[in-house]
Amino acid sequence: MPSVRTEIKLAEETFLTDDFLRQLINVGEVDILVGLPTHNNAKTIGAVVQSIQTGILRWFPRDRAVIINPDGGSRDGTRELVTGISIDDLRPVSNLHALRTLHCISTPYGSSPSSAVALRTILAAAELLRAKACIVMSPESSHTEDAWISKLLQPIRTDGFDLVTPTYRRHKFDGLLITNLLYPMIRALYGLRIREPYTHEFGFSGRFGAEFLLNNVWDDGTGASGPELSLTLAAITGRQRICQSFLGQKDHIERRSADLVPALRETVGPMFSALDSTFPAWGAVTASQAIPTTGPDHEVLLDPVRVNRKRLREMFSTGVAELEGVFHSILSPTTLAELQRIAGLEEAEFHYSSELWVRTVYEFAASYHKSVISRDHIIQALAPLFRGRALTFLMENRNGSAADVENNIEGLCLEFERLKPYLLQKWKSRE
Amino acid sequence: MPLNQDVLWYKDAIIYQVHVRTFFDSNGDGIGDFPGLEQKLGYLQELGINAIWLMPFFPSPLRDDGYDIAEYTTVHSAYGTLDDFRKLLESAHNRGIRVIIEMVLNHTSDQHPWFQESRSSRHNPRRDWYVWSDTDERYKGTRIIFLDTEKSNWAWDPISKAYYWHRFFSHQPDLNYDNPAVREQMWKVMSFWLEMGVDGFRLDAVPYLVEREGTNCENLPETHEVLKDLRRRLDEQFPGRMLLAEANQWPADLRPYFADGNEFHMAFHFPLMPRMFMGLKLEDRKPITEILQQTPEIPPSCQWSLFLRNHDELTLEMVTDMERDYMYDTYAENKTMRLNLGIRRRLAPLLENDRRRIELMNGLLMSLPGTPIVYYGDEIGMGDNINLGDRNGVRTPMQWSGGWNAGFSTAEPDRLYAPLIQNPVYGYPAVNVLSQLGSEHSLLRWMQRMIMVRASTAVFGRGSIEFLRPANHRILAYVRRLGKEAVLAVNNLSGAAQAVELDLKKYKGNILIEMSGKNIFPRVGEQPYLLTLGPYQFFWFRLRRI
Repeated sequence: MPSVRTEIKLAEETFLTDDFLRQLINVGEVDILVGLPTHNNAKTIGAVVQSIQTGILRWFPRDRAVIINPDGGSRDGTRELVTGISIDDLRPVSNLHALRTLHCISTPYGSSPSSAVALRTILAAAELLRAKACIVMSPESSHTEDAWISKLLQPIRTDGFDLVTPTYRRHKFDGLLITNLLYPMIRALYGLRIREPYTHEFGFSGRFGAEFLLNNVWDDGTGASGPELSLTLAAITGRQRICQSFLGQKDHIERRSADLVPALRETVGPMFSALDSTFPAWGAVTASQAIPTTGPDHEVLLDPVRVNRKRLREMFSTGVAELEGVFHSILSPTTLAELQRIAGLEEAEFHYSSELWVRTVYEFAASYHKSVISRDHIIQALAPLFRGRALTFLMENRNGSAADVENNIEGLCLEFERLKPYLLQKWKSRE
Repeated sequence: MPLNQDVLWYKDAIIYQVHVRTFFDSNGDGIGDFPGLEQKLGYLQELGINAIWLMPFFPSPLRDDGYDIAEYTTVHSAYGTLDDFRKLLESAHNRGIRVIIEMVLNHTSDQHPWFQESRSSRHNPRRDWYVWSDTDERYKGTRIIFLDTEKSNWAWDPISKAYYWHRFFSHQPDLNYDNPAVREQMWKVMSFWLEMGVDGFRLDAVPYLVEREGTNCENLPETHEVLKDLRRRLDEQFPGRMLLAEANQWPADLRPYFADGNEFHMAFHFPLMPRMFMGLKLEDRKPITEILQQTPEIPPSCQWSLFLRNHDELTLEMVTDMERDYMYDTYAENKTMRLNLGIRRRLAPLLENDRRRIELMNGLLMSLPGTPIVYYGDEIGMGDNINLGDRNGVRTPMQWSGGWNAGFSTAEPDRLYAPLIQNPVYGYPAVNVLSQLGSEHSLLRWMQRMIMVRASTAVFGRGSIEFLRPANHRILAYVRRLGKEAVLAVNNLSGAAQAVELDLKKYKGNILIEMSGKNIFPRVGEQPYLLTLGPYQFFWFRLRRI
């Protein structure tokens, strides 16, 4: 008689279509699985797939490999491009020859993109195919190199790591949500210095992937948005072996300001949510340590960019004013008063200090824990404040060198670590 | 049993490769001989083969297992007399078995009288029968074949104080085919044996007959002209006889050896063989389908010759560097198993004595387009001895029984031409003909049945091939067709059970009859035909419209 756990697992796997299962049966066991979630990526996907194929042929020619492409309803021919690119297309430029069949499966999972469904599909395929090592690649990058395949897979294949996160050469103002919130807070909470805890390019062992697939994040809603961050947190709290690998230049992808709230939902949401269940893993951590890293843990580009500071400040001030009622529920009177004070400053005098930012974030986290109001409203309310903090970061580093920028980020990290007792105090208080 | 009189007999043949020395010793001197082989023809007939290919049996110093011939028109005294050979030939024909013999055209032994005369003086009439030079700088673009032993294709002869050309060992000087007298003499040699009744020649090392400056001295048009001339004479004077080319080349370079059906009847498909092993290890049909796709069409009267193993190393000349590395790492991790560009192992040890894989590989051998050749001893799963030098480890005495000297010879064991395989897994007490004949489920019995099934239809030997391309790449499936007859072969290259959906719409309405057990499988309809196969399992189905 099958165990309850087996029955549940089988039930869970029914989200895979029969057609997809049939294709998986044809692939059979693999050594390497490359996940490539897409949604209307026709402009870039061809080059990405070619880089992946070249990477597999160049670095893992003997391994059984498959590319799994969960697609969220592309209408621009993305899926056809993914499956249409043959290894033979590579030969004229790379002179590479495949020893064995390299499979590529594209499977549609709905009419709108969902990173959760996409990752879950990849994880389920990896488990069913008993993949030893898996990576997920972004379909958007025009800088993807075949060596990235090796850099993400090799630590798993040869060194036994369970999670490989990337580090990049980024513009100093790219990835502000990571540098100003995710990296320093996760570092302070869990004690591990993972530069890119939320990423669309990463590697994981088949064993860890299968374990994460059984995780209840898919059912309790926390994994519904931002499963990539949940995966990183699961690796940290599960004491998996984690390392970083320097890939190269990361494309800057322009986002609309309206994209900030969904981005917070995908990152801060799962991070705050995980705090409840992982308290034993972070409550007693008092310092942070580096993790094994291949190559530099970051590189900074300094090209001048235009930033609409005025708009950022307006959005911050308007948010502080309009959401005052919400902030009364979330923030301490002292913090709120300070935010209201800086909201009234002229642009040239505006400064959202590191200490105030860290207190703000910690108070949000504690309020999220206590569900003082709807948790989603808490996440949404953070958006205007993050814009204010981002403005200060931009101003502080406008003329800064790479070292200056890194010093400022490090200073913020240390502030998160220094004020962690404040989070614990807020976390445990009955207010 | 009369011989099949069809001039295309070689298309339906199943050839058994054997060296007289290795098979059975009739006079107790420790060396196999013609009377011994004749005594064992009944065994071969029962096995189901209908042709034997005899390796060189000519007088020779035996520094290259007889491929260094010292006299072409008689037999080595250790194997018997010319009359013994005649008797063997007659007995084989009476059993419906044709006899193909080896003919080494490219070179002789340095002990051959022709070479002795040639080297004796620059003015000797036979001086120009070999390729001489005052310098070793000629033909620089020519590769060295035996890399492990030879540093140059030229060897210095201290007697005539000149260099002579040799593509193989330095004790095997190449004949000079630019000399008409040599061409005439070699045809005389072939005629000698054809008049005696041999059914064909396996012509050794044919790409190298002629040398030209500025080329790689392989596959030259002048070489093809020599070969076409031999074929013309053969057809005129001995119709129904066959020429089989040994040309270890890529398919595109092999194709000219068939010419317009007026050069060779058959040629070994060298590149396919390592890829069958590769496909099995990779559990992927790609290497096999890829090389067969690159294989050009050949004239209707011509035929590929397929083999799994033979007396040489498993040659890896016709693979890429990456493929060679893979083959070495997976099939010859122990470096003593490697020789030249190849692996000196027998079939069973290569496949780790896995009966399922041995059967699958034989199934492929007998169902892919071409005439299969079975190397002696592989039908019982004989092992090898990698501690013997060169390729002698795969040329040990045939294991007939678990008794004295494996039933091969009554001589004292230390007088045998080579030691018997003694290890617990492959040694003659464990692997021998007698015990396998006593078991219906032995490999030998299985081979007999499969050969019988293959011989039950001409479709395997003469039919076309159409590859099916199921999405499951571990499955190699193809339909062989000849006239109204069609056979579907489905092979699972994987060590795990597989499901496969085959697109058989073209054969809608046919039922499948499994050819070994004759069981009927469901009728083909519009939907993909679902089959499940166990690890390394294969099926041959006759497609019947009833």
